Amino acid sequence: MLSKTLPLLLALVLAGCNSFSRSTPKPTVPLEPPIPAVGNVSLHTATQLPAEHELLEIGIVVFDLPAQLAGQTRPGESLYREIAEKEAQYLPYVLRNTLVESNQWGPVRVLPEADPSVDLNLAGTILSSTGLTLELQVKVTDSTGRLWLDKTYRDVTTDQDYPGRDPFLRSFASEEELADNLITDTDPFADIYRQIANDLLAMRNTMEPAELENVSLVSQMLYAAELSEATFGRTLERGEDGLLRVTSLLARDDPMLQRVETIKLRHHLFIDTVDEYYESLYQQMQPSYALWRRYSRDEAIEDKTQEQRTSSRADPESGSFLALSQSYNRYKWAKLFEQEFMALAAGFNNEVAPAILELNRRVHGLSGTLEEQYRQWREILRQIFELESGDQVSR
Amino acid sequence: MVLLIKTRRRLLFPVAATALLLSFFGFSVQATAAEASASTNLNHPWRPDFSGSWEKDFQRSDRWENELTRQISLIRQPRSQPTMQRPTANIPLGGPSRRDSSIIDLARLAELISRQNVIDITQTENEVFIAREGDAALICGTRENSMQSFSSPYGTEVCGWERQQLVFRITLPEEVQILHRFSLSPDREWLNHLTTVSRQGSVPFNLIQVYRRFDMPGDGYNCTQTLTRGRVCSTESKLDAE
Repeated sequence: MLSKTLPLLLALVLAGCNSFSRSTPKPTVPLEPPIPAVGNVSLHTATQLPAEHELLEIGIVVFDLPAQLAGQTRPGESLYREIAEKEAQYLPYVLRNTLVESNQWGPVRVLPEADPSVDLNLAGTILSSTGLTLELQVKVTDSTGRLWLDKTYRDVTTDQDYPGRDPFLRSFASEEELADNLITDTDPFADIYRQIANDLLAMRNTMEPAELENVSLVSQMLYAAELSEATFGRTLERGEDGLLRVTSLLARDDPMLQRVETIKLRHHLFIDTVDEYYESLYQQMQPSYALWRRYSRDEAIEDKTQEQRTSSRADPESGSFLALSQSYNRYKWAKLFEQEFMALAAGFNNEVAPAILELNRRVHGLSGTLEEQYRQWREILRQIFELESGDQVSR
Repeated sequence: MVLLIKTRRRLLFPVAATALLLSFFGFSVQATAAEASASTNLNHPWRPDFSGSWEKDFQRSDRWENELTRQISLIRQPRSQPTMQRPTANIPLGGPSRRDSSIIDLARLAELISRQNVIDITQTENEVFIAREGDAALICGTRENSMQSFSSPYGTEVCGWERQQLVFRITLPEEVQILHRFSLSPDREWLNHLTTVSRQGSVPFNLIQVYRRFDMPGDGYNCTQTLTRGRVCSTESKLDAE
């Protein structure tokens, strides 16, 4: 119902009150000066499978949110913070899909935390997210500690980025029509993810094959050292450039190394499962999130045009009842619009809540959030390794 | 709190008058039995519980025309007569050529914004939500003593708690100020809503509406708001759903 009333309300306000505006407590952090948008970007895809040393494994950590969001106390702000927390789990999966689509990399997974077993760890912060603009801070480091990327990206959508009909007309569409129009593989901010993928590829192309092979070796030994620091910690050394390198290699048939590989395989089965959970969340969120972003875009555009309307308004005699009541009505409609938008935000949160609950419930035998379950699993594997090897694992 | 203190200074007369009226109707600013039903979480400041459905008691509520007549007669009294410290200078009474807001216009605005016959209030640990038919809801947090609850080029709203009273101060362009002040009777059966309207430091117009608690009949549905499917309802009770 709200989804139907919002466009109507918008139309009424536009027609009857000249203008209105609101300052919706959205999770936005303005950057000064604004960084340029990425524009239209084509994804650099590989037509042939790259060489093995180029197939680095990537772990995309669930995105962070700006610290400013934590201190918000204004009524309704908790709704937008809740949406931002969902986006932090949703947007990494869009980036993951883009990297997979490029066909340039090894396995790409979304993970609750940085993982020592992967070659590249990608961390992101959502600086700003509305249906109109998206700003991401992205930092990528490889297992040796080399910084691949530390950059802020910004993308601005156009009306063409959103499939489907005009939102006002769409409010009268059937559910089937809505589903057809809204469920699409192309994200409105696809360009930002393509740009990140292209930048990563550009960085990889600057590196020598030996450097890439070293990245894989270091990540292998880093994971081994996590299982047994005493045994494998000394195989790694930080060079003058601050990067880790492997100083001594164990034989491929070394029993300890074979045990590490076995445990690592189990670990990868687990993180593949975790990645599937994020995929499931992504699939369940996608239809309502697409609709939410569309409304969010309309709302953001409304914000941008409010000043023009205010300046072009012709008021009746100042202080008269007509002037007072019109002034109050403009205020009232602006507030009503914001409250309708808040109700949509609440509706989005309600709709996605079961998927989030499911995400945290699905690992049987482990408890807590997915992040906690991930930590528990790593500890279990470490203990299994200790039992199997009889090693004195240093904590 | 600074904002509320300023408000208090500017509205010395209405506050004094309100205190008198509140005591007349049995409202009290002291801690009362109403406290017993409020949140007892030690981590949060104590707040009275306004939640419930409230319908206007027309017998006890001000009639805006009568209140206007009373205020005009007070304004026209000679200065020598004591009138509860009320300022009497430069009070425009209205007229076709006036440029300043008159008490009549303020009275009409006060009537316009306090027409609701029914108010529905929900209150949680974090928020109080006052739904008013035909108008935007008044929403305020319960943890902070004061906060900006709305902001737009068309006006800003600050809300806060003054002892057991919940206060909203709306500032519209051209220094039009609207104050909503809610308080409960000791037995929590009555809700007092004082609306004060002023403009550019003029004498404010006060209108008191008194509401009686009533039980809103339930429709038997358990509803949840969703984005893509609108309001989804079932006959399942909330306990069953859990």
